[in-house]
Amino acid sequence: MSEIKRKYVIPGELVGKGSYNRTSNVYQIEDKLYSTRVGMAEVLNDSLRVIPLTGSYIPRVDDLVIGKVVDHSAFAWEIDINSCFSGFLLAQSVFGRDYSPARDSLTKKFAIGDLVTTKILAFDRTRDPLLSVSGPGLGRINQGEVVSISPTKVPRVIGKKGAMIKTIENYSKCRLTVGQNGLVVISGSSEGIVLTKSALDLIDLEAHSADLTQKVQYLLSESSNGEKE
Amino acid sequence: MASKKSLVVEYLKFEQMLEEISKGKRIDGRKLLETRSISIEPGVIEKANGSAKVKLGKTEVIAGIKIQTGSPFDDTPNKGLLIVTSEILPIAAPWAEPGPPNEEVIEIARIVDRGVRESKIIELTDLCLIEGKKVLAVFVDISVLNVDGNLFDAASYAAVTALLTAKMPKYKITKEGEIEDTGKQIPLAVNLIPVSTTMALINDTIIVDPTLDEETVMEARFTLTTIGKDTICAGQKGFPGGFSPAHIELALDIALKNGEKIRQKIKKSAELEKKK
Amino acid sequence: MSELLSSKGRRLDGRKLDELRPIKMEVGVIDNATGSSYIEFGRNKIIAAVYGPKDVHPKHMTKTESAIIKCRYHMTPFSTGTRKNPAPSRRETEISKIIREALEPAIVLTDYPRTAIHVYIEVLQSDGGSRCAGVTAASLALADAGINMRDLTAGCAAGKINGKVALDLDEVEDMEGDADLPMAILPNLEKVTLLQLDGNFSRKEFIAAFKLAKEGCMKVYEMQRNALKDKYFGNKEA
Repeated sequence: MSEIKRKYVIPGELVGKGSYNRTSNVYQIEDKLYSTRVGMAEVLNDSLRVIPLTGSYIPRVDDLVIGKVVDHSAFAWEIDINSCFSGFLLAQSVFGRDYSPARDSLTKKFAIGDLVTTKILAFDRTRDPLLSVSGPGLGRINQGEVVSISPTKVPRVIGKKGAMIKTIENYSKCRLTVGQNGLVVISGSSEGIVLTKSALDLIDLEAHSADLTQKVQYLLSESSNGEKE
Repeated sequence: MASKKSLVVEYLKFEQMLEEISKGKRIDGRKLLETRSISIEPGVIEKANGSAKVKLGKTEVIAGIKIQTGSPFDDTPNKGLLIVTSEILPIAAPWAEPGPPNEEVIEIARIVDRGVRESKIIELTDLCLIEGKKVLAVFVDISVLNVDGNLFDAASYAAVTALLTAKMPKYKITKEGEIEDTGKQIPLAVNLIPVSTTMALINDTIIVDPTLDEETVMEARFTLTTIGKDTICAGQKGFPGGFSPAHIELALDIALKNGEKIRQKIKKSAELEKKK
Repeated sequence: MSELLSSKGRRLDGRKLDELRPIKMEVGVIDNATGSSYIEFGRNKIIAAVYGPKDVHPKHMTKTESAIIKCRYHMTPFSTGTRKNPAPSRRETEISKIIREALEPAIVLTDYPRTAIHVYIEVLQSDGGSRCAGVTAASLALADAGINMRDLTAGCAAGKINGKVALDLDEVEDMEGDADLPMAILPNLEKVTLLQLDGNFSRKEFIAAFKLAKEGCMKVYEMQRNALKDKYFGNKEA
């Protein structure tokens, strides 16, 4: 098995030398590669990347994100997706091609203050992200509590093939929807929600731990056992 | 114009707030009349004449006191000057922008000022050095470092604590009728401790010490400043909603009780600082 | 001319000529900000906060290929000896500009087209060298905010007091001394991005002060790294 070399780095620190096929969060001067972020540098075969520990969410096409409707014009809803860019959901994509502002009221479908699960339909550096609610599991969120975690911790909350989410859901008996943008919807009993929040706090604190899964399992099992009194 | 759109409270959260309030609680777990944790730290700006940093939950505020000599106003030749300003620094919130204070921020300064002035925490005639010629000007400048609701109370506690622990040069009048710094430092003469309590009305229920989310959805706001177990010296109602007479009476009781509690806290911090 | 240096080569606060004042740094101090830091250089107390990247206002200032940096260095009214009027002074405007120009070369602006990145530096207490401390804090705040950077920016000043080259002048030394040389560098890329001179140096003295300030910047950089380490790497530095 190939060795993964790992090192904590800050912007400007040397991460590696040579040429790599896949790089992220590094920049190159001659044959040397330097980190652009605070994070964990990881070198494996032909890939050299810095996994960032900081930073707000930058939209990627096909990402599932949780958003909050903050405004609307006659033609689109403006949705806060916890990123530096606001997302837009076109009325046309919801009401259809023959959408008419006079007839179809945007507010009836999604009002300011509504939470929605959406997908990033399109995003490039020349325009704000376009969102979509067409698809299974997308649309308005009618119940549950939303918590915010650092977007850099999302992969650990999801876990390998969703293993971490499943673990949390099993113990807390709650349903979790995790947005790539760091917003998580938790629905279930209030005790379950409290338990889930404590698990998320732990992941936030210990994301860089190798034995994170054990720690989370321990926390969840201890708390649930305590509850059974 | 920076967008205040980030202040939109999710409808689900609002529903949750209402549900909790009907059960006598709030979404952060507090009871209706409970204040957040308060930390008061005097003397944080040692080069200033006085200072204090206050954390009220996540709201964070610093007040600094500068005492300088100046000329009195024409119509009050025997009174010193007391000037209270406040600023929400652009570091404090995504929508906070540099520039001249807007009406909200000016309101904060004026309420704190009123609480200080009406309480006679400082006797302005005590600040007179040479009548008609030289007086002391006390500047109370409040800077908000992080916004999470209830800037009024945080600003007020910081300003009062800073005044309580402030020191100034002892001046003497020379034979030639000029003032001279003797090189000694004396405390600013402060008589009492005004304490403000801010309450919000949500769904016809009074809650104390609103967070930013609660302020975003509240119907009305009421701040009362007390200086003792039975004396109220300043009041201000804000926001378009209305309080009933029963609410007002309840608010009086809350403010007097809470005022006493926080007064002890401020007193303790000030005393510890003075011992240093 | 006042005695800023004793016969034994000690300054008013007891330091030797090449000694830094005590420095303290903390990352992530303003809850609402995207990134932030707090720094103490001697009696300087400074908070820096970063918001963004976000939309540009006014719109016509938007750059299609890169971000714009908006930087504001500001002193609170109680931060200085004589109370300062809260309105921005010409000095603050100038310092805001040079700090921005010290930070820009480090930021990968092209990664954030059509956006503005706001950097706010608030001086809560000032005691000489606040612009160097300010740029140092701002760089930490940018790293905390996750803005892509080629390097950090580390600041430190040197100067001349009683004819001798000295490191990190405080307010009294700055006012009564012979010269002041604030500086900031990108430590890994070895580039000087902030340099100002106030006062008189001979060529030899300038080189000596420059060298001293550069060494000071490198020490400051080590502390920046530790501050980021404390917040992000826990106790588990690989």
